[in-house]
Parts: sequence; structure tokens; C-alpha cells
Amino acid sequence: MPMSSSESATALKRTVIVAIFAAVAVVLSLVEAQIPLVGVGLMPGAKLGFANIMILTCIFFLRGRDAFVLVILKTLLTAFLLGTFSSLLFSLFGSLLSFVVMFLLVKWGGGKLSVIGISIAGGLAHNTGQLFAAAIVFKSMSIFYYLPVLLITGIVTGIAVGFAVRYLIASLSKISLFEEFLG
Amino acid sequence: MKRADVLLISIVLIAALAFIVPRWLSNDSDKAGPGNNLVANITVDGKLYKTVKLTKEEQTIDIRTERGYNILKVYDYGIEMYDADCPDKVCLGFGHITRPKQTIVCLPHRVLVEIAGGVSGEDDIDAYVQ
Repeated sequence: MPMSSSESATALKRTVIVAIFAAVAVVLSLVEAQIPLVGVGLMPGAKLGFANIMILTCIFFLRGRDAFVLVILKTLLTAFLLGTFSSLLFSLFGSLLSFVVMFLLVKWGGGKLSVIGISIAGGLAHNTGQLFAAAIVFKSMSIFYYLPVLLITGIVTGIAVGFAVRYLIASLSKISLFEEFLG
Repeated sequence: MKRADVLLISIVLIAALAFIVPRWLSNDSDKAGPGNNLVANITVDGKLYKTVKLTKEEQTIDIRTERGYNILKVYDYGIEMYDADCPDKVCLGFGHITRPKQTIVCLPHRVLVEIAGGVSGEDDIDAYVQ
């Protein structure tokens, strides 16, 4: 089915935005992998979740399927670049759960939660999802010992990510590329 | 921030603290020591690999699988992941664990170390009477 020129222009813009966001998300993941959180006395395996900034912003501007593509791209590329391919299953499980929760809250949350609340929910879903994946692989529930600590770190990083998303959405809304995706 | 945000944060925070605070309070009662015969169950790929007694003396446990190696060290009634060739090194960050239910996880190598109660079949430490 041939697309009208304005439709194809929109499709192209979507693709470009997803590509840019994926690149930024991968860079953010690489940067945060260099930050030794363990040294600060935090839970091993806890992450800052900076890449979530791009995913949540994408959910706001684009459709669910675009954000889904972004999640898959970011997870695969990061696994290739960091060489953490063996734990790909875990990050994928966490990222997808986090994406689904944030997507549902943005589309059907009725605006009860602000971006900050949604980002916190996404962070919590990510941590819980990873623990679930680990519990399934190890066939052991003992990993949930770390859930309370991960919930607290999830809240803290979720707040930070939420504030970043709020400013990012405000700034990007002024760029012409994002104009037609507003609202 | 909206009211729902604050509500979400408070609920999760309270739930998390409800689990963490009792652990702090029971800090010393179930801590590993000469009295408590704690063991560490090491599982690889969901199958039990080895059960070691947590002794004061140092012992080293080598786990070699087709995925790579993990070296565990037992000392001071606790256990620590000493070295591993996994890509993320998250398992090294768990440090020296000494209390029941604490775990060390190495996701890439599917290695799980869990501290459990004494070898006498009791898994509840409170059952020990001095």
C-alpha cells in the first residue's frame, strides 16, 4: 500500500527518532557500566538505569511499538558492546517488564502518576523482573533476599530518571522534529 | 510530583523497610560464629554442586564449568566470591557473607551460593540453645 508523502515523512521521522534514542540509550548504558556502584556500598547488580530516560521519553512521543523496538535494540547492542551476552536473558526480561509497566501507565494510567512516578514504577519493574528471571534460572527463591534493597535503589534511581525525563520532554518539545508527535 | 507519586513511593518504601528493619535488629543473634554451624549450599545450573561448612579456617572452592571459573573462599565463618572470569564481575561485589539466607549470585555462570542453617538438619537458627 503506497503511503502518502506526509505519512512516509512521519514514518521516517519515527525511524530517525528511534535510531537517535537507541544510540543515546546505548551510550548511557556504557557510561553507567563504568561507574563502580559496588564501591559505594550499594547492592551488586544495581544499576542507575539511565537508559530508561530514553525509553520513557520514547513512550511519551512515539507509539508503543516504536518504544518496543528501542528496548530490543538497546538491550541487544549493550549486550554486544559490553560482552555480557550470557546475561542477556536477564536484562531483556527486566527491560521488557519495565517497558510494559511504563507503557500501560502512560497510555492508561489516567494521568494519575507524573513522569517521576512512572519512571519509579518502571525501575521497580525492571529490578523485580530481573530477580524473577534469576529465580527461574536458579530454581530458587533465595535471590529475593535482595528484593527490599533493590526496591529502595529502584525508587532513588527512578526519581532521578524521572526528573531527567521531565526536562528532556520539555526541551525536545521545542524541536521541530518532535512537533507532530506532541500530545 | 503528584499525590499518587508520593503514595507509590511511601508504599514501596514501607514494604521494603518492613523486610530490612527486622534484619538489622537481628543483626547479631544469628550472625555466624563458632556456635552456629552454618553451611553454604553451592548450586550450578540449579543443581547442587557442593555443600561446605563455614569454618574459621580458610578453604578454597574451585568451580569450573564450560562457562568459566569461579573461586570461592571460606573464612571467618563466612564465604566470599574471590575471583571469577565472568564478564560483569557482579558476583565479586557481594563481599563476605555470613548470615543465613544471604546469597552470592553469578548470573553469567549460573552459580548460586546460599548460606543455610547448621548441618544437624536444623534450618532455623533460633532453635539453637547455648
